[in-house]
Amino acid sequence: MSDSPAIAVHGLRKVYGDKAAVDGLDLTVPRGCFFGFLGPNGAGKSTTIRMLTGLVPPTGGAIELLGMRLPEQELAIKGRIGLVPDESLLFDRLTGGEFLEFVGRMYGLPRAVALERAASLLGLFELRESRKLIAEYSKGMRKRVAMAASLIHHPDLFLMDEPFEGVDAVGARLMKDILLDQVRRGATIFLTSHVLEVVERLCDRVAIIDKGRIVHEGDMNDLRAGTESLEDVFVRVVGAEREFHELEWLR
Amino acid sequence: MIPAILRAQWLSMRFSRLGSGRRGAVLAIVFAAFWYGIWSLLAVVTEFFAASLPRWYIETWLPVGLLAVFLYWQLMPMASASMGASLDLRKMLVYPVPRGSLFLVEVLLRVTTCGELLLVLTGLGVGLLRNPALGGWPAVSRVTLAIVIFAAFNLFLAAGLRNLIERLLNRRGIRELLALVMMLVAVLPRLLLVTGAPFHRFEPLLPAARNAIWPWTDAARWLLMGFPAGGSLVLWTAAAWVFGQWQFTRSLKFDIEAAQADLTPAKERTWTAGLYRLPSLVLPDPLAAMVEKELRSLARTPRFRLVFVMGFSFGLIVWLPMTLRRGRHSGVSDYFLTLVSMYALTLLGQVTYWNAFGFDRAAAQIYFLAPVSLRRVLAGKNVAAAIFIFLEIAAVSLVCAVLPLGIPPAKIGEAFLVTAIATLYLVGIGNLGSVTYPRAMNVHRVSAGGARGRAQGLVFIFYPVALLPIFLAYLARYAFHSQAAFYAALTGAAALGMAIYYMATESAVSAARTQREAIIGQLSRGEGPMVTE
Repeated sequence: MSDSPAIAVHGLRKVYGDKAAVDGLDLTVPRGCFFGFLGPNGAGKSTTIRMLTGLVPPTGGAIELLGMRLPEQELAIKGRIGLVPDESLLFDRLTGGEFLEFVGRMYGLPRAVALERAASLLGLFELRESRKLIAEYSKGMRKRVAMAASLIHHPDLFLMDEPFEGVDAVGARLMKDILLDQVRRGATIFLTSHVLEVVERLCDRVAIIDKGRIVHEGDMNDLRAGTESLEDVFVRVVGAEREFHELEWLR
Repeated sequence: MIPAILRAQWLSMRFSRLGSGRRGAVLAIVFAAFWYGIWSLLAVVTEFFAASLPRWYIETWLPVGLLAVFLYWQLMPMASASMGASLDLRKMLVYPVPRGSLFLVEVLLRVTTCGELLLVLTGLGVGLLRNPALGGWPAVSRVTLAIVIFAAFNLFLAAGLRNLIERLLNRRGIRELLALVMMLVAVLPRLLLVTGAPFHRFEPLLPAARNAIWPWTDAARWLLMGFPAGGSLVLWTAAAWVFGQWQFTRSLKFDIEAAQADLTPAKERTWTAGLYRLPSLVLPDPLAAMVEKELRSLARTPRFRLVFVMGFSFGLIVWLPMTLRRGRHSGVSDYFLTLVSMYALTLLGQVTYWNAFGFDRAAAQIYFLAPVSLRRVLAGKNVAAAIFIFLEIAAVSLVCAVLPLGIPPAKIGEAFLVTAIATLYLVGIGNLGSVTYPRAMNVHRVSAGGARGRAQGLVFIFYPVALLPIFLAYLARYAFHSQAAFYAALTGAAALGMAIYYMATESAVSAARTQREAIIGQLSRGEGPMVTE
């Protein structure tokens, strides 16, 4: 069971009307890997993550996470996934501590354990203002709570959609350290980000998706050994080296 | 600019109102046709009487009729907790739109709360023109102008009052108090009437109320005699315009976040926190976690708190006069507590069970991400709703015990029992509605109703059907003069209610499995430049 990849996706498709958001995606992410999933806006990254979490049913293809098939073993899979979505999905009328406790209990932790972990996570993420409602949190604080919530049940696989967006440098450093620590203990991280420097520094492998298809996949060590930066590769494979046209009225 | 704002709103509303399926659109149209059909009928009746009654009769009653129109226009949106569409000022502030243009759009949007009154006024106008004793069709310009100016006066005043009340309702501390005051003002005359208040002391005021200085009296005089009778109406309209502009400008500068800055539960008492933890003593996780979360979230949501206060106070105030009728045995008094409880159950529906995921908005995705079945999630929400419903009834019972109403304990027990059974039906159907017609609700727009359009249509269709078994139990008691028959029928209604709750919830879970993407899409939908509630 543990030899199976963390993520195995075959021929994954999602079609909206006559437009394929994800078009025959094949992807394998080994366990213990820090995987960067990149692509331009609207390439299909978020749709892929939403299909992996079971929020969006695929039009076709097969998904296997941690050796279990989706949707057949949906509940078992969900219990072992930690998700940081692109928009912080938090209940605004709870405090950070109450939210973390709630999430812990929803993931099956006994109340006392959930409370204890929530308190320690609040400390770790420097969210000690625990009596403040989430509605009053800044964007960065919301991201930190979302990250803390993804950790509370000690998952084996993290699915993260732009986790560093809106987070200050100190918070981002903290989050990166925590994620690297999780990979060291054997967890797998599947991360999307537009900040290519971050991906370049953290990830072991990357895949680039464009128009719903994988257009590049490779080992970061190979990339680091070469002459091209990740940004160069990205721009080259998604064909973004477009000419800049000036608008007459903008001069 | 105005067409651009209106178009942006139309584009935002298009999908949320009609785009989620033909069924929803048809239901919304049927509901609108039913509502406006009733008002069209009233307009025709008004037209008939205005065209056929003698002049002296119209002269006597027209000011009263216009006063009723004025009161309905200004008070009804508040009493029904639905203030119609308005500009979401925070979204508009970034654009260089002149305030005058924004105010004009705001005034135009007031029409959304008074379409029915415009129908009645049109009927009145046509009727007056058809009445030969009042000048006939040659008076068309006079009558039209008087009606237009009376409508403009009401629109300006309604816009100003809405902005004023919206700001007040967003201030913590005075929100619930204001709601109570508004309700008391609305029902005070009736309360005084049925309790035998010394009305003769107010009689000297009546001629003053008929004085031409008031806009309704002057509008009536203008309709019948023409200018310069409408002098004071023009002045009132100008004053309403100034008031509306003033309140609109103040609302532009109003900072909702600042007004609610003390929302943080820092001062939350230990015993309150302990109350939230009570479900964990009797329920297992994750159900207990869901119930706790719901209790905390709802208790801190301004809109829920307002509806909760209205639930027991408004019901109490509306039905109390009928119970207190002097020297007469009122059938209402026998069922007072049950009626108030059912009213509270209905009102709480819009913020608890009809659209259970409404306040969670996009965060409702968590329920689909966590390793918990949606059945448990809905059960948690239902238990929390039931706790609030029964707290509400307990509060009403307490008030009844304090007031000398003489409600026997058996009636209190009956009210609880009947409401519990009705809750089974309504919450079950609400579960289905919550996944079939989910809609993101704004926690700040405390004046706005939760159920609207399609959801309201569902309420109107299902409410009588759902409560039929309970009605049959009362019928059994009446027909057989037997408490045993009543409780036997009620037991049957409870059994049927449990079956309906189970089936509706299972259908909801099944629907959520296949439609989760659409549900999340609806709950994540943002609003356009206006808030339409």
